[in-house]
Amino acid sequence: MGGGQWPVVLIITPLIGAALTPILARRRPQIAGYWALFVFSIVTLAAGVLMYRVSTQGPFSYYMGGWRPPLGIELRFDEFSASIGVICLIGWLSLMFSLAYAKHALPERRIPYYFALVLLCLGGMNGFAVTGDIFNLFVFLEILSLSGYALVAITGERIAELAAFKYLVMGAISSLSILLAVGFMYALTGTLNMTDLAMRLRDVEPFPVAVAVGALTLGFSVKAALLPLHIWLPDAHSIAPSPVSAILSGLVVKIGVLGMLRMYQILYKAQIFDLSALNTTLMWLGAISIVLGALFAMVQEDIKMMLAYSTISNIGYIFMGLGLASKYGIIGASVHIFNHALIKATLFLGAGALIHQTGYRNLEDLRGVGKAMPITSAAIAIGAISIVGIPPTAGFLCKWYIALGAIEAGRLFFAVTLLFGALFIFVYYIRMLNAFYFMPPAHPEILDVGEAPVTMLIPIVVLAMLCLLMGIFGRIPLSFIEPAVTNMLAPIGG
Amino acid sequence: MEVVDIRPLLAPVVSLMCGFLVFFSGERAWWRRFWSIAAAIVNLGVVYSMLPGVLDGVIYKFALIEFTPGIGLAFRVDALGMFFALVSSSLWLITTVYAIGYMESEHERARFFGFFALCVSTTIGIAFAENLLTLFLFYEMLTICTYPLVVHEETPEAMKAGRKYLVYTLVGGVFVLLGTAVTFQWAGTLTLSQTGILDMSAGRQGLTLLFVAFVIGFGVKAAIMPLHGWLPSAMVAPAPVSALLHAVAVVKAGAFGILRITFCVFGVELLQDLGIAIWLAAVASFTIVVASVIALTQNNFKRRLAYSTISQLSYIVLGAALLTPLAALGAIVHIANQAFQKITMFFVAGAIQRTTGRTNIDELAGIGYEMPYTMGAFTVAALGFIGIPLTAGFITKWYLSLGAMETGHWIFVVVLITSSVLNAAYWLPVIYMAFFKVSPGVRPHVKEAHWTLLVPTIVCAIYVILLGSLAEVPGMPLSLARTAVEFFFGS
Repeated sequence: MGGGQWPVVLIITPLIGAALTPILARRRPQIAGYWALFVFSIVTLAAGVLMYRVSTQGPFSYYMGGWRPPLGIELRFDEFSASIGVICLIGWLSLMFSLAYAKHALPERRIPYYFALVLLCLGGMNGFAVTGDIFNLFVFLEILSLSGYALVAITGERIAELAAFKYLVMGAISSLSILLAVGFMYALTGTLNMTDLAMRLRDVEPFPVAVAVGALTLGFSVKAALLPLHIWLPDAHSIAPSPVSAILSGLVVKIGVLGMLRMYQILYKAQIFDLSALNTTLMWLGAISIVLGALFAMVQEDIKMMLAYSTISNIGYIFMGLGLASKYGIIGASVHIFNHALIKATLFLGAGALIHQTGYRNLEDLRGVGKAMPITSAAIAIGAISIVGIPPTAGFLCKWYIALGAIEAGRLFFAVTLLFGALFIFVYYIRMLNAFYFMPPAHPEILDVGEAPVTMLIPIVVLAMLCLLMGIFGRIPLSFIEPAVTNMLAPIGG
Repeated sequence: MEVVDIRPLLAPVVSLMCGFLVFFSGERAWWRRFWSIAAAIVNLGVVYSMLPGVLDGVIYKFALIEFTPGIGLAFRVDALGMFFALVSSSLWLITTVYAIGYMESEHERARFFGFFALCVSTTIGIAFAENLLTLFLFYEMLTICTYPLVVHEETPEAMKAGRKYLVYTLVGGVFVLLGTAVTFQWAGTLTLSQTGILDMSAGRQGLTLLFVAFVIGFGVKAAIMPLHGWLPSAMVAPAPVSALLHAVAVVKAGAFGILRITFCVFGVELLQDLGIAIWLAAVASFTIVVASVIALTQNNFKRRLAYSTISQLSYIVLGAALLTPLAALGAIVHIANQAFQKITMFFVAGAIQRTTGRTNIDELAGIGYEMPYTMGAFTVAALGFIGIPLTAGFITKWYLSLGAMETGHWIFVVVLITSSVLNAAYWLPVIYMAFFKVSPGVRPHVKEAHWTLLVPTIVCAIYVILLGSLAEVPGMPLSLARTAVEFFFGS
């Protein structure tokens, strides 16, 4: 199996790189950022190779140490694993953004730890995306969650520690619940390998499996911040340093969704019981998340708080799409995993640049910043239009597919909720754009601040361009997602 | 005959590019003007170069990208699309000249002209959309691109109007998107190249609801009552914006959408079976009469124009809803007729405001002597709205009335006559004020508007007469409209 080592590179490199960061940067903390960027460049390269391979040859597996499952550990690279593409892209750009940002926002001695934690978190996510084994799934989930808690607290401010603690408590509940489910599955079937599991679940009594599915759903919903399990998210995402917010909001919450997708893959293949009760629940929770997330966001004044609540709405889109369980619904949900990551990273990095340059984070104080920082503001405007789903931006395609999925499933009501929910979202983004562009500044000195340093500006511009391009070239993520969804739904005749 | 050609894509893209160049020109006035005018001329040139082909029955098309089979962005130039595009792009050139003069002393001109160019790009996109998804895409982009123009003044009043505008139009957009998704589910395609893609198998009730959803969605921009609330308040925008967007591009995009839905998505036969179009005709008639009555009570020049626009737009909706060839011809040709007449009036209102500072009708006594050419142009447009022969408005009224008689519903003819009387009642007093009511002892001296304001106004007024008197000359809008109608009614 030529070139089969790449999945290992994906996981091992960031973990080793993270461990080395504090040692290498012991004397000169500033080099930590460049080192992390270098390490992650290798990972991104590996991701590129793997994505090329999956798009030309279809899914493939790698067996650690040559041991075949059920004994050995399998790394399975399928179309859903292609989400490492977006993990690496946003991870890399956030690291680049951090170079200048960390210098300003963090105490110097914490900088190496910051970069080490970011690498750990990204490595954990890569592992999560490619593992074919549910216990490893749990391990990687813990790696990325623990580094996430620490990253929220890293500024060392009291409020950050509180937010991180809240995040930790909720996260621990979710981890326990997932571990419980993994234990159940193992006890029932005697295997941890996902493919095996799907086969063996067919002969098992359904009730304990249902408990395990419930526990998994609970665990992943907390990670994904599905309403009403979202309470940790707004504080954690708004208080964390902006590049971390981009990673948390764009990627880490999606890990919960990815976990759900993995679970569905197994369940659809096993066909052990009817999933309609679960689907209906997710659909409703998704719809409620969309509307309430938007309503909460409307009353926020803090720009990052607003973005954090908007994540809850968008997670609602994704869960609604999953729950609809129709082809277009799941396609829409999966595309939104990619596109929302791009959009939210644009917005958080953009907001980070604004805060970095002006020192303000309330809408009222930021008035007139559109003239002072035209490039960043334009990027945020593109992100805002994108997240509302105005064509031809990235967000529109997801909305369109999920709406089609709702109609396909005969649930017009959810299509209506989705589309009007998006309007609610626009209400608060238009407030933001009005403040940036159409209102006289509250602090006249804001007109004198310039654009952020170029290492911060490039990631923002690249992401904003992608928000536009992904709407027009929406085929690219779709070429991965459509076969995956078709395979997934094949057993139930979708 | 269908030909693959890049020009349907080129027209919107060129003006889009120029729009961005305007942004980058910033405060360098010369470059800003250069790119604005260049965009307008190139755009008009590209659109115009396709006219002879379209008149010969050639259909140009270009598929840009496909997301999944059957869903994608594609452009297609047929007679109706060509008609709308031609009106928009020629008026855009004229309005750009006017706007350069009008906006001389305004702030944020780069933003203004940049979004101005983007708006026309999206309007051409609407005109050339091959399928409902492409149409929706540009329809929403138009909303976004016009917002900065509506709130241009940045006053609290402008911000409020902008908010109202967004709420109305975006809610409308949701209805269009919902309708589009449902149409895709039922028809399996979204193309606008046929005379009806839906059929009765979807069920009478469902189809009725779908039609209502589309009418609400496009009716917001077409300002059908009671969905018209945004239009009068959006008049706070500078005069060229009101002229181009609220008399031409935005509102016509709504009317155009209704024409597309009626003739290309549902088709004449299906709508006749459903029997729902008559209700749309009733709503349109209501709008025609009531908006005119409200216009009578308005003293602010631009507000009177706004209500007159609401009334006139429903002519197009009425013509579509009557479902007869002659009424459809009247509806389509009114896109051009109303556009030229209304833009003349907006130009006049803007020129008076810029030159004399007056905005109310009761202040206009004697203005006909101060600005004779401007008010001459106004008189032509006013006569057009009343429907006097030899002006554009007469052509519309003639065909609409014939079409109404074809259906046998005489009431619609009565509506049209009532509307003429009401138009006379609110425009003739303005002419009376301007020319016949000079305060005794005052000798008004001529103080015309600047030439950049005057020339576009006169050009439009002349064209109003040409549209009315030379309507049957080949190459005039009527011939194009006739090609479109022949296709829709299959003769």
